[in-house]
Amino acid sequence: MIFGMWDSVLFHLGPIPVDHLVVTQWALVLVLGLFAFMGSRNMQVIPRGMQNGLEMIVEFTYNFFGQVMDEEHIAKKYAPLLSTFFLFIICSNYSGLIPGAAHIQGFQPPTSNWNVTATLALITALTVHYAGFSEHGAHYLGHFISPNPAFLPLNLLEEIAHPLSLTVRLFGNIFGEEMIVAYLLFLAPFFVPTALMGLAVMLGAIQAIVFTLLSASYIAASSGGGH
Amino acid sequence: MKRNKWIYLLGLLLSLIMVMGFVALCYASEGAATVPVAAPEGKPPAFGNLYVIGWSAVNFFCLLAVLYKFAYNPVSNMLEQRATTIESSIKHAEALKVEVEQMRKEAQANLIESRKEAQEIVARATKSAEDAKNDMLAKAKEEYAAIVAKGTTEIAAATQQAKAELKDTAANLALQAAEKVLGRAITEADHQKMVKEFVSEAGDLLC
Repeated sequence: MIFGMWDSVLFHLGPIPVDHLVVTQWALVLVLGLFAFMGSRNMQVIPRGMQNGLEMIVEFTYNFFGQVMDEEHIAKKYAPLLSTFFLFIICSNYSGLIPGAAHIQGFQPPTSNWNVTATLALITALTVHYAGFSEHGAHYLGHFISPNPAFLPLNLLEEIAHPLSLTVRLFGNIFGEEMIVAYLLFLAPFFVPTALMGLAVMLGAIQAIVFTLLSASYIAASSGGGH
Repeated sequence: MKRNKWIYLLGLLLSLIMVMGFVALCYASEGAATVPVAAPEGKPPAFGNLYVIGWSAVNFFCLLAVLYKFAYNPVSNMLEQRATTIESSIKHAEALKVEVEQMRKEAQANLIESRKEAQEIVARATKSAEDAKNDMLAKAKEEYAAIVAKGTTEIAAATQQAKAELKDTAANLALQAAEKVLGRAITEADHQKMVKEFVSEAGDLLC
């Protein structure tokens, strides 16, 4: 019982089909939203309880991904988006480690499906171009024929390669890890897959950081002084 | 106590998840006795599912909105507020430091002045005591001199009186003696002559 099985519609919301992983996404949004709500409902100058955790996460993501940006106002503008990328991806990756993932209906790690990773990459690509236009206006188009108009095909290819690489990298890593754990679970349950799941903890964090850092660097490159 | 409650709740939640997972795995085995988990089957997820892409985009932007509302915005505001508070606290502390330094200098100056005043008071008191002592000494000397002078005068008067009394007594004695020696009454003229002679001789001896 693996992903192919659950790569299907769980139920319909009117005419719109809802997949298993969409329900998992809702759960993630709910959990993260609840955490954010509980951490910020009674904020104090001297933090206590969940406020500490919330501030730690927000500060870490803001600083870690903001440092890629050269200019402070760009970092400030896109830090919420990048932080959301990171939190969404890392929670999605780790949801696959919870027992019952991909075995309980409506519970499938979202990043193990490349439609989801492609959506995230698409959002990154759109943000990159938005950042470029908002910072440089029409001059941003100049980078497509930089350093020479002959490079136009290569530059266009690069624009396609960036989101494609983001999509495939994240999907491949998480899907591959889930597959290996599933096969090991079949071959030698339950202790052998545990070691790999330990590695998966690291892998989930690394992939989330890689995706977000690359997104940050693309946004920084398009909005920076290079164009 | 509150912390323990959270730890217990977390433990309970994790246990529940693990039990649910185990039950799901057993259920997935579909009654197989030896292998609780069925072999992976199915196919990799198909690419280009626009519904999943749409749902994912909606969910992602919902998450972004929720986190912006409940995490990024409040935390950023709180960080700014904290920075402002810390900055004002530092400024206040610096102002207090300057004030304390000024107060310390004032206290130091007051202390020096007080010491100086105390020294002046002590000097004044010493001088007053010295003056009083000198006055008393002078008065004592004067009194001493007056007493001595009075004593001398009294002694001199007493001496004069004694001399006079002695002269009279001696004269009387001499008259009586002369009368006995002469066996007659001495005339006034004799008397006067003898007295003068005797007194002059005795007076020299007595004085």
